[in-house]
Amino acid sequence: MAVEVSRTRRTGSLYDRYQRRLAPYIFISPFYILFIVFFVGPVFFGLYTSFTEWTGLGWPRWVGLRNYIFMLTIDDVFNQAFINSVIYVVGNQLLVIPTGLIAALALNAAWLRFKDAFRVIYFIPVLTTGVVVSIVFTLLYSKDYGFLNFVVRLAGFPPIDWVGDPIAAKIAIIIVMIWRRFGFTMVFFLAGLQAIPHEIIEAAMVDGANRWQVFRYVTLPLLRPIILFVLITGIIGAFQTFEEPFLITQGGPSNATLSLAQYLYSQGFAFGRLSYAATIGVALFVVIFVLSFIQMRWFGALRDEEA
Amino acid sequence: MARQTTATRAVRAPAGVLGLGRTTAEILFRSGVYLMLLAGTVLTIFPYLWMLSASFKDHSELFSYPPQLLPLVLRWENYLRLFDKWQFGHWFLSSVIVSASQVVLATFISGMGGFGFAKYNFRWRQPLFTLLVGSMMLPFWVYVIPLYVMMIWIGWVNSYLALIVPWVGSAFGIFLCRQYMLSLPSELLDAARIDGASEFRILWQIALPLARPALGAVAITIFLSSWNSFFWPLVILREQTKYTIPVGLALLLNLNVGQREWGPLMAGSVLASLPIIVVFLFMQRQFISGMVTGAVKT
Repeated sequence: MAVEVSRTRRTGSLYDRYQRRLAPYIFISPFYILFIVFFVGPVFFGLYTSFTEWTGLGWPRWVGLRNYIFMLTIDDVFNQAFINSVIYVVGNQLLVIPTGLIAALALNAAWLRFKDAFRVIYFIPVLTTGVVVSIVFTLLYSKDYGFLNFVVRLAGFPPIDWVGDPIAAKIAIIIVMIWRRFGFTMVFFLAGLQAIPHEIIEAAMVDGANRWQVFRYVTLPLLRPIILFVLITGIIGAFQTFEEPFLITQGGPSNATLSLAQYLYSQGFAFGRLSYAATIGVALFVVIFVLSFIQMRWFGALRDEEA
Repeated sequence: MARQTTATRAVRAPAGVLGLGRTTAEILFRSGVYLMLLAGTVLTIFPYLWMLSASFKDHSELFSYPPQLLPLVLRWENYLRLFDKWQFGHWFLSSVIVSASQVVLATFISGMGGFGFAKYNFRWRQPLFTLLVGSMMLPFWVYVIPLYVMMIWIGWVNSYLALIVPWVGSAFGIFLCRQYMLSLPSELLDAARIDGASEFRILWQIALPLARPALGAVAITIFLSSWNSFFWPLVILREQTKYTIPVGLALLLNLNVGQREWGPLMAGSVLASLPIIVVFLFMQRQFISGMVTGAVKT
C-alpha cells in the first residue's frame, strides 16, 4: 500500500514536477473519456428514456411513470419473464453451489490424483460461447432424434418434449446453465479451500475430528465468505440469462422460458419499443445493483478505499 | 480455538493421520469420489465429443434412430460447406479482428489507468476510483438501448468500430491492474525519476513489464468476453459477411427447422470452441488464476 511517494524528495526540474502532477490524469483519461461517452451518457439517457414514449424516431415524448406502471401492474409478459428469471436463478444456484462445493472438496483432497486434469476439464465449458453450447444442446434435446431422449427411452420412459413442454423447457434451460457454470463455481471454491492453511485442518484431525466434523466445523465456516461471493455472483449472472432461452427455446412455449434480458431484446430490437425496453433495462439494473451493493459491502471493494 | 492453535504448534500432523491408514471404508470412500469425479468428467466432455462426431456425419447419420455414436467415415463436407456456402472464413476473421483490437487496446488502457491510480497521489483519485468501482455494478442492460441509438446516430451500425471502441475502457481491467500495481516498489519508480526518466517511460519500461501477470489476466478476460460475446454483435451487425462467429452460427441455427443445417452448424461449433480450448490446455494456470483473482481479489 505504499502509495505515498515522499514529497520532500523532489529532485527534478520544474518541468519534471509539472509532468508528474499531470501524468496520472493523462494515464486515466482514455478510460474516463470512453467512460463518459459510452457509459455515463447512455446510462442517464436510458434512465430518461424510460420515462418517455420513444421508438427511435424524433425526440422522446415525456410520459412520466407510465412505462413503469404498465410494466409492474399490467404487463403479464414482464411478470412471466421476471418469474422465469427468478426460477433460473434459484434452479441454477440450488444445484451449482452444492455440486461445485463437493467437487472442489474432492479436488482439494491430498490423496487425489489427476487433480489438474479434472480441474481443467470442468473448466472448459466456462470458455465456450453460449451460442455453441446452445446449438449443441438443441441437437441433444431434439425430441425424436436427440441423444437425451434416447437415454430417456432406454430407461423406459416416454420421450420428453424438451423444448415444447413448459416445464421440461424450463428444466432444459436450467440444465444448460448449470453445465456452463459448474466449472466456474468449482474453481472459486477450490481457490477458497486452498487458501485455508493445512495446519488448521490437520490440527482438527489430530484432535480426533472425522471428515464430516472437519468440514462442518472448520472448512465450512472458513469458506463462508467465498460461498456468499459465489452465490451472489452466480445470482447476478443467472438473472441476466439471454443466450440459452433465446437460441434453444426462443422463449417458448408461449413465453414459458422467456427471460428478462430476452424480453428486453424483443421489445427493443424486434418491436422497436425503445423506451419500454429501456424501462425493462432499469428493472434489471435495480435487482442487480442491490445484489452487487450487498456484495461490495461484504467483500470490501469499497471498504478498501475507506481504509 | 485455543486447542487448535496448540495442536498446530505441537505437531506437523504425521502422514498417518491424513492418510488414515487404508481401511476398507477409506478405499470405498475414495473409489466413490473418483467415480463421482469421473461421472462429472463424462457429463462435461460428452457434448463436445458429440459435437465433434456430429460435425463429420451426413444428414442420415445425424438423424438416425437409435443415434449413431460415430460417423461411418470422416466426412469433411460439412466443413467445406461451412466455408463455401456460409463464408465461415469471414466470420472467423471478424471475430479475430474485433477480439484482437479489443484485447490490445483494453489491456493498454487498463495498465495505464491502473498505474495512474496505484502510484500517484492526485486530488480526484478517491472519488474517481469510487466512481469506477461503482460503475461495475451497472449491468449492460441499463444502457444498451441508448448506446445502440447512439451507434445509429454516429453511423457505427454494421461497423466493427461499434464492437471495439465502446468496450476498450474496462473498469474491471483498471481495477485489477491497480490492485496489482499497488505492490510495485515506489523506490524503483523514484530511482528512475532521478535518472531522468519521463513518467511515460516509467510506465512503459518499468510498470507495465512488472505488471505482466495482471495484464495477462486482463487480456485473457477481455479476449474471452469478446470472442464469446453475442448480444451486442447481434444487434450491431447487419451484413452476413461481417458477422462474428457466434452471430453467424446463430443465423444457421435460426433457419427454418426444415432447412436447418446441422452438419455445418456442428462444424462451425467445433471451429469456434477448439482454438480456445487448445490455448487453454497450454496456459490453463494463467487462465484460471487470471479469472479467479480477477473476481476475488477485491
